[in-house]
Amino acid sequence: MSDDARWLSAVWMSDDPAKRADVTSAIDAVLERDRAEADREHRTRIGSLAALALLLPVVLWAAAHGVTPLVRGAYALMAVGVAVIGTAEWLYLEWSKQALPGPVDARSQLQKTAFMLTRQARLLSTSAIWASPAFIGAALIGGWLFRERTHAEAIAVWALTAAGWLAAGLGTMAVGARLTRRREQLEQLLAELE
Amino acid sequence: MAAYAAPIRRLCAAYAESPADREDLFQDIFLAVWRALPGFRRQASVRTWLYRIAHNVALTRRTRNRHRQSRESPLDQETAAATDMDFRRLALKRAIAGMAPGDRTLTVLWLEGLSAAEIEDVTGIKAATVAVRLSRIRKRLHPIEVSR
Repeated sequence: MSDDARWLSAVWMSDDPAKRADVTSAIDAVLERDRAEADREHRTRIGSLAALALLLPVVLWAAAHGVTPLVRGAYALMAVGVAVIGTAEWLYLEWSKQALPGPVDARSQLQKTAFMLTRQARLLSTSAIWASPAFIGAALIGGWLFRERTHAEAIAVWALTAAGWLAAGLGTMAVGARLTRRREQLEQLLAELE
Repeated sequence: MAAYAAPIRRLCAAYAESPADREDLFQDIFLAVWRALPGFRRQASVRTWLYRIAHNVALTRRTRNRHRQSRESPLDQETAAATDMDFRRLALKRAIAGMAPGDRTLTVLWLEGLSAAEIEDVTGIKAATVAVRLSRIRKRLHPIEVSR
C-alpha cells in the first residue's frame, strides 16, 4: 500500500463503532434468533409430519375400502397427491437451507443461491401440476356424489376443490415469481461483481 | 467474535442504509457465522473466512425485501456529530455508498487491509482483476486522498 492508500485505510479504520457491551448484546440477540428460528422450523416440520401422518392413513384406508372402484381410485390419487405435496415441502425447505450464505467466496455463493432460487421457483410455479392428483381425486369424489347422492353435495365438493386448486396454484406461482425476481437481481449482482 | 466486531460494523455501514438496517445486517452476519462455525477448519484464515460469510450475507441480503423503513439518512445523522476528522471519514463513506455493490465489496476489503490474493479468496475474483479494479476505484477516491 502507498502512503495515500494507507492514509485512506487509516481514515476508514478510525471508525470503531463496536463496543464490548454492544457486541455482547448482539451475540445474545443472535443466539435468541437462532433458537427462535430453529424452534419455528421444528414446529413447521412437526406440523407437516403430523398432518401427513393423520391424513395419509385415512386416505389409504379409504383407497383400500372405498364403496366403488371410482371412490377407491379417487382416494388413491389423493394419497399420491398428499405424499407429493409433503415431499415438495421438504425439498423446498432443504433448498432454502442450502441457499443460505456460507463461508464460500462471493462469486460461488451468488451462483449457488441463484441456482437454488431457480429450483425453488420452478418447483413453485409447477405446483398446480404436481399437486393435481390430490385435487383430481377430490373432484372424482364429487363425481361419485353427483351420481350416487345429491347434485348440491357434488357441486359443493367441486367448487371447494376448484377454489383450493386455484388458490394454491396462484399463491405458489406468486411466490415463485418473487423468487425469480430475486434470482435475476442476484445474477445482475454477479455480473456486476465480475 | 468481539475482535472482529469493529470491521464487521464498518462493513455493515457500507452496505446498509439506516441504523436499523445495519443492526439487522450485523445480526444476520453473526447468525450466519454462528451456523457456519461447526464447519470451520483451523487451517483456514479466520479473517478471510469471516469476511466471506459477512460479504455473502450483505450481498444476498440486498435482494431480500427486509429493509426497515427509515426517513433519516444515516449519513445525515453522522453529519450532525461530525468533527474535522469525521468529515473525511464521512466523505469516504459517501463515496463508498455511491459505488456499485461489486466495487463496494472490493473497496471495503481493501480498506480493511486485505491483499489482492486475500480479496480473491473472499470474492472469487482473480487477484489481477482485483488489482486493476482497485486502481480504478482509487482514482475515484483520489479527491479524498488529496484533501488530507
